[in-house]
Amino acid sequence: MKTTVIGAFPKISDEPGGQELRQALHKHDRGELKDSELDSVYDAVTKNAIGELDAAGIDVINDGQIRWDDLLAPFASAWQGVRRGPLERFYDNNTYFRQPTIEGPLSSDGQTLVRAFTYARSIATHELKAAVAGPITFATLAIDKHYASLEDRVLAVADAIAAEVRGLGEAGATLVDVEDPGLVFGPQHVELAREAYRRIAAAGVPIALHAYFFPADRILETLASFPVAQIGIDVRSRDTTALRRLDVFKGKTVVLGIVDARNTRLETASELGKLAEEALRLVPSDSLWLAPTTGLEYLPHDVASKKLAALAEAARGGVPA
Amino acid sequence: MTADNILLTTSVGSFGKPDYLQKARNQHARGKLGAAELVELERKATLEWIRTQEEIGLDILVDGEMYRGDMVAHFAELLDGYSEGGLVRAYGNRYYHKPVISGKLARPKPMTVEWFQYAQSLTDKPVKGMLTGPYTMLDWSYNEAYPTRREAALALAEVVRQEAEDLDRAGARYIQIDEPAVHARPEELAIAIEAMGIVTQNLKAKTISHICYGDFAAIYPGVLDLPVDQLDLAMANYEYRWLDLMDRQPFTKEMAIGIVDVHTHELESVAEAADGIRRGLKYVSADKLLPHPDCGLKTRPVEESIAKCRIVVEATKVVRAELAKNAVPA
Repeated sequence: MKTTVIGAFPKISDEPGGQELRQALHKHDRGELKDSELDSVYDAVTKNAIGELDAAGIDVINDGQIRWDDLLAPFASAWQGVRRGPLERFYDNNTYFRQPTIEGPLSSDGQTLVRAFTYARSIATHELKAAVAGPITFATLAIDKHYASLEDRVLAVADAIAAEVRGLGEAGATLVDVEDPGLVFGPQHVELAREAYRRIAAAGVPIALHAYFFPADRILETLASFPVAQIGIDVRSRDTTALRRLDVFKGKTVVLGIVDARNTRLETASELGKLAEEALRLVPSDSLWLAPTTGLEYLPHDVASKKLAALAEAARGGVPA
Repeated sequence: MTADNILLTTSVGSFGKPDYLQKARNQHARGKLGAAELVELERKATLEWIRTQEEIGLDILVDGEMYRGDMVAHFAELLDGYSEGGLVRAYGNRYYHKPVISGKLARPKPMTVEWFQYAQSLTDKPVKGMLTGPYTMLDWSYNEAYPTRREAALALAEVVRQEAEDLDRAGARYIQIDEPAVHARPEELAIAIEAMGIVTQNLKAKTISHICYGDFAAIYPGVLDLPVDQLDLAMANYEYRWLDLMDRQPFTKEMAIGIVDVHTHELESVAEAADGIRRGLKYVSADKLLPHPDCGLKTRPVEESIAKCRIVVEATKVVRAELAKNAVPA
């Protein structure tokens, strides 16, 4: 069993000196810090996040998404045809994002994340994966003033995401997380999602579909037939039957979200071990990865660190006798 | 219906803190300013905001929440059973201390009554009592202590009830119990309604609940069962699309309608804001419609807070004049 993380890592901490990025952004807003200076701070904070993930013994890490204002921001800022619009709540979190406002045909040069990925790769000692926003999430959270239908919008978003995945692949990425909570929030779009994922997979880089916050119960079998290498399932945020049905994902890697990234209560080793043990009855150990339910940025930094330790411990042999 | 009780203007609760207070709060956090000195400055800023609201011409006032940082953390700090959490990001570069429910909840003493009494003593206009609702308190906290979200929400309802009843006894004519998280999990709307029922069951004051930023459509019309007299809704940010829901299912409460967006520096024109009121009047009569900004203004600098409120008052004057002109003379 490998361990991995999903999504964003806390950008600041309550520790002395832990708010460098927050202060730098304030200074940048006031015109007291140049773009290049802010960039250096982003790099330094990214380096710390990667260092922490490496040191915690997480097998497959990401860059902590330190530059991401929200899941959709890098893409809504970089792509043609869209801008960042009004503030809205991100699903059932007290966390807010700017709604992408689509005003013309979407297109991407596929380079949005390449520089950050290349930098992260130069630092990481463990295997590094990349990440993009999911097509259903982006398309259903956007304000659309251009496309005639949800279908047109989803497929245009999928094509732009596919360009990003291709660009990341060319930069050396061997696995790209596609974070798509919108797919389990709105499971009625699953057939449309299938075509979107077919297009993203055609970019030729193995992808991991991460569906978190809501249960995937209604679409588990359909997801199993998607052309993706990995499926991430959150078994903590809501009641779910998924844990008893993981054998549907035969031939894929299951990334099991067992550490609750949205509550500070620390899981015990035995609690996590039991979840892993249940999954291992249906999934071979080389096809099971353990993970937090979603990005650890929903937690204060110190708690996120403790959750990482609990995760690593669970994979090391937290399976109770 | 008379001209002086239609389209009463108000605000959602918080205003921008003046620079001297922001500085003092930072100094206090670093241990360089005593609590008594900070309270003096909070009272000074409260007085200034009361005078400013009177000068702008708002009808129903608020104390401006000069003594609060975050609307959940403020109460969490004053309740037993809560512990302070670390910083988490809300959006952009804005962070807050998300509190942790770590034990049995209890209210050792009143939390807002003195501030209400002070603010009300400064003006003849009504000042709203301002509380955060139990469901939002739950949703914006980490829960380590209660086995289920419902149990935690009901425990919070009990402490909020005690505070609301104290405000009622202190003479508050309006008590606002905000539930901006009420649509976070639409499947839990029944919990939010049950909890609010505990809070408002014995109140004589007019009760209000503010709702913003989320999928209002997902809880409509069920939210009409929230046991309060008035729902206070962000509308400008949503280009008034929630009003369309009321074509199918009539709105049955008083409505405080947000006619200026609070998360943008740009100022709406008076004409745009007046149009927002006219849209609301299609669904709610003028004696039950209260124009105001979409949400609390604490994220805006003082000058922008004032400018946004002026637009609300000016837009209301425009529409009141139209209504007076169209009214049949007695």
